[in-house]
Amino acid sequence: MADASQGSAPKPSSSVKLVLLGEAAVGKSSLVMRFVNNDFQENKEPTIGAAFLTQKCPLPTRTIKFEIWDTAGQERFASLAPMYYRNASAALVVYDITKPSSLTKAQHWVAELQRQASPGIVIALVGNKLDLATPSTSPEGADEAAEDENDDDEADARKVPTKTAKAYADEDGLLFFETSAKTGENVAEVFTAIANAIPETQLKGTRGSAAARAQEESRVNLSAGRDTMGAKEGCAC
Amino acid sequence: MQAESLNDTDWDIVIAGTGLYQSLLALALSRSDKKVLHLDKNSYYGEAEAAFSLQEAEEWVKEQNNSSASIENLSPSEEDGPKLSFPRAYSLALAPQLIYTSSKLIECLVTSKAFRQLEFQAMGSWWLYSASKDSEPDSSGTPAEASGNLVRIPTNREDVAFSDSTIDLRSKRSVMKVLRFIMDYDNQEELWEGYKERPFAEFLTNHFKLPPTLVDLFLALTFSPTCSSQTTTAFALPRISRHLRSIGRLGPGFSSVIPKWGGLAEVSQVGCRAGAVGGAVYMLGSGISKTESIDDSTTLHLTSGDIVRTKHLVANPVSLSSNSSQPSQNSSEGTSRSISIVGSSLPALFPQLTEGAPIPAGAVVIRPAGSFPSETSDPAPVQLIIHSSETGECPKNQCIIYASTPASAPAGPSLLDAAVNALLACIDNPPVLWRMHYPFVPARIPSDAGDGVHLFPAGMSADLVFDDTILDRVETIWRALVGDTNAAFLVFEDREGQAEDEEDEYL
Ligand SMILES: Nc1nc2c(ncn2[C@@H]2O[C@H](COP(=O)(O)OP(=O)(O)OP(=O)(O)O)[C@@H](O)[C@H]2O)c(=O)[nH]1
Ligand SMILES: [Mg+2]
Repeated sequence: MADASQGSAPKPSSSVKLVLLGEAAVGKSSLVMRFVNNDFQENKEPTIGAAFLTQKCPLPTRTIKFEIWDTAGQERFASLAPMYYRNASAALVVYDITKPSSLTKAQHWVAELQRQASPGIVIALVGNKLDLATPSTSPEGADEAAEDENDDDEADARKVPTKTAKAYADEDGLLFFETSAKTGENVAEVFTAIANAIPETQLKGTRGSAAARAQEESRVNLSAGRDTMGAKEGCAC
Repeated sequence: MQAESLNDTDWDIVIAGTGLYQSLLALALSRSDKKVLHLDKNSYYGEAEAAFSLQEAEEWVKEQNNSSASIENLSPSEEDGPKLSFPRAYSLALAPQLIYTSSKLIECLVTSKAFRQLEFQAMGSWWLYSASKDSEPDSSGTPAEASGNLVRIPTNREDVAFSDSTIDLRSKRSVMKVLRFIMDYDNQEELWEGYKERPFAEFLTNHFKLPPTLVDLFLALTFSPTCSSQTTTAFALPRISRHLRSIGRLGPGFSSVIPKWGGLAEVSQVGCRAGAVGGAVYMLGSGISKTESIDDSTTLHLTSGDIVRTKHLVANPVSLSSNSSQPSQNSSEGTSRSISIVGSSLPALFPQLTEGAPIPAGAVVIRPAGSFPSETSDPAPVQLIIHSSETGECPKNQCIIYASTPASAPAGPSLLDAAVNALLACIDNPPVLWRMHYPFVPARIPSDAGDGVHLFPAGMSADLVFDDTILDRVETIWRALVGDTNAAFLVFEDREGQAEDEEDEYL
């Protein structure tokens, strides 16, 4: 056990608590489902209360284990979110690119996070349902398409120009992505970008192998002793 | 369902308050088909077990009308020494407790799968503060408390063998003898039966001929919230035995654990989150201004203006009352507590326990009664629980000291300050950056409230060890609510997508 960090030892792994916030039906649960199960449901039922899922995200030097809290956009009394973003290291604030009001709601969430969450929280602003916009090769193109061709092109349901949202995200220092949970476009990229943006100092198990082991070791595995209870019991006297 | 208004819903259960009892109940109910409305009149979760940022702590102190709660900001203003960080960099526990690895709570958190959302950390060494009275006469100019030192409390053969010179060879043998006896005390009742209701110190002195300094070591291990003269043998033996028998259960070296990020507050929140996932509706900042019982339903007037109807109401005396302060501020019965933020990581307090043991996130220091010559007629012990920044309760290079004494104000708070200062004086005297004092009123068991109304105690006992009877109370009320006498309590399968492959990782 002493020097297992050399050679073929597994990469250090760290847990990251992530919370998803955003208006109802923007696709929060769908994004999580795409990320965790690589699956999509055309008519996903609204989340009640919240859901908790986990998923690993391998990076070149370490593995990040996301502990994901997917909240309900319809939550009536705004009493749950504080519980989910408490101690969260990352937040994904989602809006629907076909629904301008959902960006306003997203901005409210960002403000609340900046006021109440941990000072170092990494926030990503995510415009979902990109598949409903006219496809284009570059973000710039998509932008122009949104602004110039909205009237001509009936297939394009985009109502929030990329430029608008991106400018806001840059101003507030947020990561920014447009995604489609339906096609899977950019979904993995969001999570990878978040994983990379978490400051090394906040992660356990990333500061060289010795420190890595030490940091990991402050955690106690509660289910560890279950089968051996009694056997290891007691002091050595 | 979401569109229904509060008032139109026929609630099965309204839970008032999000303290540990009610939150564990919410967890227990999270897989039932009951319609649950969970309220808290505060704007935060956890009631008496809450964890606060500095700003929240300040607001809480203001709300404790006519009590002796207070905050001092002691951060030095200019120099480049340690400084207080952002208010939100702290998560200070109002009711810190140790959870022994043998506690039923651990078992329940595992079987209910709630443990997947919690992170537990090991407590490390236990220390006895000793005032080293014999060296006092010649230490003319120095204050009495500066001459103290810390003795690590041994709990097994290696500890005893490698303990420093404070325990001589002959005493080491006695200590081993007592440790061995306590591991097996329940089979040797004839030895201690006569001392049952008499002070434990007397039993150790008479039966094992232990010198007073060693008696203090064992008294410390009882972690008794009362004065040593009131610590009976019948009380002490099971407690020390629990300590010894808890060592090694969840890993080498440690006997108790603490939840990361603010202790029991975190457990409360995990209970409420499970409730929400199970479909319960949560409403903070909403108290109950009036309750009316008609036939088999109770009508509640909420401070939000809503009027809701429910079959059952679960609450505690404080969550039912409309003002926001703690239970009756009868300061004479309360114990005194303080929380100090220290500008050092105090590495000396957190040595690695044993080969392969986890990094300790906490330490315990016991200052026995009568350590200071200046003490008054009724000396009281001080218990200090020190949390390192590993707990997430403070930034790196700082520590939190939670101090508690059965002495009430005005003696209590100054006793706490003296004990904290004396401890820091033993380890390079780092500065205290911030300090909060508050009276801690131990909760009483409420009398039963009548049909359809179930009451929990309002908060914890004065004990700094998690009390397993909390789970019994939750179970009793849970059974009354679900009407099932056979169902397993807090035993659930993982929900979809939640199971972890953690087991593989640890192989
Ligand atoms: N076209 C398209 N539809 C999507 C996309 N993502 C989600 N949807 C659909 O949008 C609807 C709402 O998605 P959800 O994932 O349930 O939304 P949510 O944000 O979790 O909603 P709440 O749980 O109520 O807060 C569902 O019918 C999804 O199928 C997407 O990227 N493109
Ligand atoms: Mg959802």
